[in-house]
Amino acid sequence: MSLEQVTKPDQPVTGDEAMLVRVQREDFSIDEELRRVRARSKRIGGIAIFLGTARDRSKGKDVDGITFEHYEGMAQKKLREIRERGLKDFGIIELSILHRYGEIGIGDNIVLIIAGAEHRAEAFQACKWAIDELKQITPIWKLEHTPEGEVWVEEHP
Amino acid sequence: MVTVRLFGMTKMLAGNQGALSLALPDGRRVKDLVAVIEAAYPKIGELLHKKKVLVSVNQDIALEDLEVKDGDEIALLPPFAGGSGHR
Repeated sequence: MSLEQVTKPDQPVTGDEAMLVRVQREDFSIDEELRRVRARSKRIGGIAIFLGTARDRSKGKDVDGITFEHYEGMAQKKLREIRERGLKDFGIIELSILHRYGEIGIGDNIVLIIAGAEHRAEAFQACKWAIDELKQITPIWKLEHTPEGEVWVEEHP
Repeated sequence: MVTVRLFGMTKMLAGNQGALSLALPDGRRVKDLVAVIEAAYPKIGELLHKKKVLVSVNQDIALEDLEVKDGDEIALLPPFAGGSGHR
């Protein structure tokens, strides 16, 4: 484990709320993030999760790996906006959004959305909206490594 | 002089520089900045004109008439990995 993974510079240690929206290099534990959301309220009765992972094909071409670049500060700001709008517009109880950056191997985790609500319908809706919105407004870029070279792409996993 | 941060394909098109330091001799609006970038890096200029690359000022997408002030945080944002454009 590298020093950066130990110190987690992107994660403010100011309590659980700040931990619910993160952009980080290291992998995340789905169980741990799920526990964090569940701990927010005993009223949660339905949780929807979206996990985006790195696939080995893109537009018919082989992909060996992916590098994500993000705009530090603006990326976090946009994800916080998505959380706040999600909480307000969908009547859900909690929304957690995590995205990784740096080099990501095939099959590895990229992005995690967890929406907790009283009932499943709002949880599903908010979860789908949040990942769609993330792709639209969050300054994160994807470089695919292929046998023919590296390509900056405009399409999210 | 203003500093413009580059990401993704704009960084690549500027010879892998992470940022540009630019003088703005003919005006302080975003469109003046775009003109200076276009002169130095025509390919980035083309993407800016096609709105494939957007300018952000202080972490918000900026329109061409916005005035750029000293100390503003300026960046060129290529299409996000989401692909269906910015809003």
